[in-house]
Amino acid sequence: MDIIISASPLYAVLVSLLAVVLIGVSGKNPNLRESWTIVAALIKFSIVVSMLPKILDGKIIEYTVFTMMPGLDLALRVDPLSMFFALTASLLWIITAFYCIGYMRAGKEKNQTRFYMCFAVALSGALGIAFSANLFTLFVFYEILTLCTYPLVVHKQTPEAVRGARRYLTYLLGTSIAFQLSAIFLTYFYAGTLEFTAGGILAGSASNTVITIIFVLFVMGIGKTAIMPFHAWLPAAMVAPTPVSALLHAVAVVKAGVFTLIKVILYVFGVDLLQELGLGVALAYVAAFTIIVASIMALRQDNLKLRLAYSTVGQLSYIIMAVALLTPSGITSALIAVMIHAFGKITLFFTAGAIYIAAHKTKVSELDGIGKQMPFTMFAFTVGALSMVAVPPAAGFISKWYLLLGAFEAHQLVLIGAIVVSTLLNAAYYLPIVYAAFFKPVPLGEGTEMHEAPALMVAPLVFTAIGTLVLFLWPTLLFDLAKLVLASVMGGY
Amino acid sequence: MIAHFPILVIVVVLLAAPIVPLVGRKNWVFGWYVATGATLLSFLMSLSLLNTVLTDGRISYWLGNWEPPFGIEYVYDPLNAFVLVLVSFLAFMVAVYARKSLEAELQPDRLTPFYSMYMLFVAGLMGMVATGDLFNVYVFLEITSLAGYCLIAVGQKREALMASFTYLILGTIAATFVLLGIGYLYMATGTLNMADLAQRLPDLYQSKVVLTAFAFFTVGLSIKIALFPLHNWLPNAYTYAPSVTSTIMAATATKVGAYALIRVMFTVFQPDFEVTVVHVTQVLIFVSSVAILAGSIIAVAQTDIRKMLAYSSIGQIGYITLGIALMNEIAMTGSVVHILNHALMKGSLFLVVGAIVYKTGITHINDFIGLGKKMPVTMAAFTIAALSMIGVPLTVGFVSKWYLAIGSLDAGMWYLIPVILLSSLLTAVYFWRVIDNIYFKKPEKENADEQTPPGISEAPALMLVPTFALAALCVVFGIFASVPVSIAEKAAVMLLR
Amino acid sequence: MAKRKMKENIIRKTAARLSIPFIQLYALYVIAHGELGPGGGFQGGVILGASVILFILAYGMEEGVNRVKQWKTDVLNSVGVLLYGGIGILCLFLGGKYLQYNVLPVSDPKLASQLGIIGIEIGVGITVAAIMITLFIETARRDEK
Repeated sequence: MDIIISASPLYAVLVSLLAVVLIGVSGKNPNLRESWTIVAALIKFSIVVSMLPKILDGKIIEYTVFTMMPGLDLALRVDPLSMFFALTASLLWIITAFYCIGYMRAGKEKNQTRFYMCFAVALSGALGIAFSANLFTLFVFYEILTLCTYPLVVHKQTPEAVRGARRYLTYLLGTSIAFQLSAIFLTYFYAGTLEFTAGGILAGSASNTVITIIFVLFVMGIGKTAIMPFHAWLPAAMVAPTPVSALLHAVAVVKAGVFTLIKVILYVFGVDLLQELGLGVALAYVAAFTIIVASIMALRQDNLKLRLAYSTVGQLSYIIMAVALLTPSGITSALIAVMIHAFGKITLFFTAGAIYIAAHKTKVSELDGIGKQMPFTMFAFTVGALSMVAVPPAAGFISKWYLLLGAFEAHQLVLIGAIVVSTLLNAAYYLPIVYAAFFKPVPLGEGTEMHEAPALMVAPLVFTAIGTLVLFLWPTLLFDLAKLVLASVMGGY
Repeated sequence: MIAHFPILVIVVVLLAAPIVPLVGRKNWVFGWYVATGATLLSFLMSLSLLNTVLTDGRISYWLGNWEPPFGIEYVYDPLNAFVLVLVSFLAFMVAVYARKSLEAELQPDRLTPFYSMYMLFVAGLMGMVATGDLFNVYVFLEITSLAGYCLIAVGQKREALMASFTYLILGTIAATFVLLGIGYLYMATGTLNMADLAQRLPDLYQSKVVLTAFAFFTVGLSIKIALFPLHNWLPNAYTYAPSVTSTIMAATATKVGAYALIRVMFTVFQPDFEVTVVHVTQVLIFVSSVAILAGSIIAVAQTDIRKMLAYSSIGQIGYITLGIALMNEIAMTGSVVHILNHALMKGSLFLVVGAIVYKTGITHINDFIGLGKKMPVTMAAFTIAALSMIGVPLTVGFVSKWYLAIGSLDAGMWYLIPVILLSSLLTAVYFWRVIDNIYFKKPEKENADEQTPPGISEAPALMLVPTFALAALCVVFGIFASVPVSIAEKAAVMLLR
Repeated sequence: MAKRKMKENIIRKTAARLSIPFIQLYALYVIAHGELGPGGGFQGGVILGASVILFILAYGMEEGVNRVKQWKTDVLNSVGVLLYGGIGILCLFLGGKYLQYNVLPVSDPKLASQLGIIGIEIGVGITVAAIMITLFIETARRDEK
């Protein structure tokens, strides 16, 4: 495998940190400030894209930033797996940046400078996670992401926001310090390295009991996957402004969680080791449990954002289950779902924000007939919902299809049952919203004339909705990357 | 002159003590100039010493050219050169900071004596670190303790006298214990030179006199470093003393005590004494774990920021003794590095508190609401240091925790990892309350700050620079951790060989 | 009233006047004798300080503080220590180690050692005497503030 030494991943990470400074300096001038965000987002995306051809060629880009202490390097590596997450995060940042401007200005929010600064740091954290070459680097960026999103969650500074944000921080910081860090200590002690290596670094270095303990600690420690019982932070974090929920809690933060888990499963433990110990199946069952329970809880939510949040909890567990199956199709499903789910979920959150800004509605029960007032928004919502339920032509179908294939390959009939049941539940909590929006009459006293949110908000959500459809029609890129990942972690496939 | 740095590094500060009252008789500012200049000079000399030690190895300086073990010898090796740099650096930083802070906190006629005492305090600490003679350690211990009682007693509130008195009683007991230990060792061996003792003691390890001496040393020094059940003097002393005193004591005094403990345990006595004869390490591991947890738990319950930091220090001392007790090179490296790291973090935090007191007089955590906008730089320093205390990666706190945790695993004691991490979480709990108040809580009166936009009212630059410098070093040494770690590793290898 | 009685106490004053010179002479002897026999700077300094204390006891606080000004004792405090440290540093400049007296520029190194020790004993004596006086005055006088 060819390795290219290049600093471009570092630039991709740093570009938004540079933007933080510029944003901070130009806090007095909103237009300039926001343009920094957009410029940084564009540069970041183009750096990521510029690395894509090399990656598709089967090459890997590496860069060691510095050696902190013997054995602990801050090092970056771009491989096909990191591309999934990096592309998703950097592309959606551009879109979210526009949406943010629309939302924050329409909502007349305070402390916008702090908001944009933290937002940019969060993107550095997300890309850092995507490009990390070892567990230490990953942990560094994982914690940066946690800490810099705290001000975003607490943004409104109401007692309610402070409470929600506290819970957010308690779960994420608590699990990462208590469990993930222990797991890293143990990994380093037994394996002697923290380098991500295809096929794993732990095999043969410790007894099965120890490896099982490390695995459990990792699963518990990566709180950002929102696997039960560590999911409560996600609904709590819905106190944040909607763009934050959209990018961070549907895309960057939670995807950082599943990405970390995928990376740990494939590159620290290795497929063979987990299969041998039967740990993958165990994790898959926990994920199945999470999917079902989260779906049922989503059904019971009347607050739109909360319903989306619980849906996210469930959808994330699809990804966890997919990778935990440890079969080629399963892993493929997990990888492509990172991007597919991101597009679908961000669309849904964007629409929730648009509805809030345009119609000041937050509850599902208030959405009767809103499709007539906000046709574009609700069209996007429908696409997003279909993607979640996995109905063609939305991209969600592809990932779920591969998930089912993976479950068949692993001969896990119970899990197939769980997938089917949960799909029905997904339909049960999404489709009534679509039905009510388009087919129920508008409540008395409200006009049927069109009343959309500002264009800066509607355009992004339409864009992501179309993106969801495009991913269904042309998923070639995703599969190319997935094949490269599979080739490295599973050898023969 | 470079050949005489080993003694000048201390003499400069020691002689500054009598010079300060001479030049500061009319105006204390001249005393401040002398104090700052002396500490700066001393810092530069200790840097040069560290450099020499790292390139050429151990330095031995014979006072009056009397050959040890008959004469007094000053010895520099990677361990104490490292600690010496740390002490003199913090002494300089705090001296710079002291000018404005003390002016606000003390009566004018006490300023000159304060600087004089401050010089004695620092000279005592540095002497304890530098000397290779056990009795000399005691002498400097008393110098620094007596000066310390004065530095605490001048605090603004009446409680300062009480705090100083408690410390006086306990500190005297501690010093007496140390003196008894020295006496017994002298009785058994007839020498006071550490290197000489190290050679003579192994034959006497079974002697009851030597065992008693060791017991007196460990208990006496444990009081000095405020190891958990013997910590009673510390919280009030840090709370009611002037900010400058709290800072220098929290950042350096307990560290030097820990250094003395390491010296006694691993240089005067050899590591196999602890392994084969007294089994003190198991006790120390247990006590340290309790200290780590108890310090953090009690800190969570505090509402006064200085009390909170004081209890947090008690927990942090547990980290240092834990690394000592684990008796392997990795953990020992962690301990030595933590001496530096904790000094930087706690120093910065106490300086921030001093700046807040200077500007607003607030020490109650609940009153901190909105400070983030009023004193942005100071609060940024606080946040960095707090994150470092929590042990977030890329800060120094993470480095210490990393070495201690891997060291625990190396010693086969995996159950210490939950202790270390639980205390990290508790640290996060008590610091996050403060950070929430500083940045994210709204003032009770909703409209109050909207009508009068909060103007920036930062502490003066003389206070800001040291505060922020220490906080910045928390990050610098967190990123380029290999610099202090490589020195600490040398020290650990030397101690445990 | 008490003050007046004190002033009128002629026996006490005379006795003090008679004995103080001898005490001080003895103090100097003890200091100077330090490097050869029992005694030395500390003991001599205490005796020297005691002579001044006796003066204050006999003549009263007011007169005592007038004669022994605070700034004088403060300066002496420092001067003693500086004498000690200064001799140490002087040895450095003369090419020896800190406090290595035998490098002092005198014909015989032994004599040099002796002189060096007497020098630092004098320093110790000055400081101890000044500290004794300060301690006595500070504890005895009523706090005016």
